[in-house]
Amino acid sequence: MIPLYGFLEGDTIGLLVLADGDDSIAEIARKLQEAARLRAAIEGPVTVLYDGQTLDPLTTVSDAGMQPLARFDVRRGPPA
Amino acid sequence: MLKRDEWLDLARKLDWELSYVSEKDAFPEVQSGRPWLPHAEWAGWDEPFRTSYPEYVAGQHAKEASVAAVREAVGRVEDYQRLPQGWLEGLKLHAATLPLAEFAAVVGNLRAARFGRDSAWRSAALLGALDEMRHTQIPLLLMHDLVRWDPQFDWTHKLFHTNNWVAIAARHLADEMLLASDAIEFAIATNFVFETGFTNVQFVGLSALAHGVGDKMFEKMVGSIQSDEARHAQIGAPVLATVVKHDRRYAQYLLDKWFWRSWLLFAVVTGFSMDYLTPVEHRQSSFKEFMHEWVLDQFLRSLDEFGLERPWYWDIFLEGLDNYHHMVYASAYSYRASVWFNFVVPGPKERAWLGEKYPASWPDFDPIWQRITDRWRAADPGNDFAVHGTAIVTFCDLCQLVLSNGTPRANAANVVDHGGQRYIFCSRPCRWIFEQEPDRYAGHKDIVKRVLAGEAPGNLVALVQRYFGLDYETWGKDAFRGEYPWLDRRPA
Repeated sequence: MIPLYGFLEGDTIGLLVLADGDDSIAEIARKLQEAARLRAAIEGPVTVLYDGQTLDPLTTVSDAGMQPLARFDVRRGPPA
Repeated sequence: MLKRDEWLDLARKLDWELSYVSEKDAFPEVQSGRPWLPHAEWAGWDEPFRTSYPEYVAGQHAKEASVAAVREAVGRVEDYQRLPQGWLEGLKLHAATLPLAEFAAVVGNLRAARFGRDSAWRSAALLGALDEMRHTQIPLLLMHDLVRWDPQFDWTHKLFHTNNWVAIAARHLADEMLLASDAIEFAIATNFVFETGFTNVQFVGLSALAHGVGDKMFEKMVGSIQSDEARHAQIGAPVLATVVKHDRRYAQYLLDKWFWRSWLLFAVVTGFSMDYLTPVEHRQSSFKEFMHEWVLDQFLRSLDEFGLERPWYWDIFLEGLDNYHHMVYASAYSYRASVWFNFVVPGPKERAWLGEKYPASWPDFDPIWQRITDRWRAADPGNDFAVHGTAIVTFCDLCQLVLSNGTPRANAANVVDHGGQRYIFCSRPCRWIFEQEPDRYAGHKDIVKRVLAGEAPGNLVALVQRYFGLDYETWGKDAFRGEYPWLDRRPA
């Protein structure tokens, strides 16, 4: 289990997201959106940012090199 | 008979040359603070009140009699029951954060009363310690009678004894500022920044708000406390003046650090009350307007007087005036079971008022309240957990408050690796404070790290009950059970 700090665009607080190493980036984005949906939601495609880089939604948390307690952001719009 | 001015300094300004110990042994830097200077550099220390002990006792006796008289007249449970619900929730918040922090300030003042570098400073600090004892006792006394009516008022005494997240944040600040500071840092952090800059004027503003809603007891309490604060806060300026003269950089560092730390807690406690919990018809100004009028103008004038710079993060702070307490309030509303007071959803009138007062930022917050409103519309009244977060929220490794700095568009949290550990901060200033003295802060675990270490439960309900010290009776709910006159539940 890899604990991550997730920040959804439009939300007011960071949330703890517990990820498995083989979770896809799309999956952790979904987990964060689900956890934040009382306050904020993004309709349509999203982009996941980590360490200043846009992540491929199909890659896994491990392959993206995300370390425990890393920050990732889920933002409005498709990856550039 | 001698006139007052002829005998007064024999009582309050009485230093002599030490012969049995060195001055450095009697006033070690670890307790007295830095820069360490011989007493000659402090000999001109003075403050404007120059109160003698008999004058202090007479003045405090009159104030106590006045508070007791108001309590007798309007301090009964039924008097509180007539107050607006939102105001009562703000009262629970203020009442819980105040008295035990004031008790910690007794310790800080007593340290200054022993290790302050001039006898007039020590005399004033001794009276300050007695003041803070009084500020501990008054809210404990006044709120005690309310516990049998509403057990959330029990948190007036209980908060600081728990591991509630607000208590952890408040202790992190109070322990450092009030209990662990040397006499110089205490004077600048507490007397100059926190009291002169924030609480002294906060009490003036809160007293006016209390008057507006008809809470005569709270008005009297904060007015009475403020009159003490106005006196002992004067210790700060002459200490700062001497530190500026000998070590301007250190003076600037202490100001920058403590202004930021004070601001965060102040924004949560007072920002909530002014912009959300006080009924809109009784609000006199927004929290931002209040800050500009009462805090910033005075603080900037003080900086000019001392030849100091604005804190390097001034632009970040100004952005925070438009955002920070809104970020935290929306977050805390959606995790209200984690605190001991209830919350109010801003309705159409309140949202229009907030939009007018915060034109630059409110468009980012309004959709959040629309979602929360829609969720209540679909839920049964009183079903709080249908309109509540379930994930574990995250906390800053410096201030211990939630990661809610920045804006909804761009949260300001940032991650730093230090000594093989990873730390996250809500803002660049919190990160900067940590990086100035990492050894001072690095060992403190925030709640997420306690959960990950198995010291606190990872399940939110268990965390609230077993770690934050709350139960169904006391945890925060919607103050109106989600039943608002403006919220229409009829099917379309």
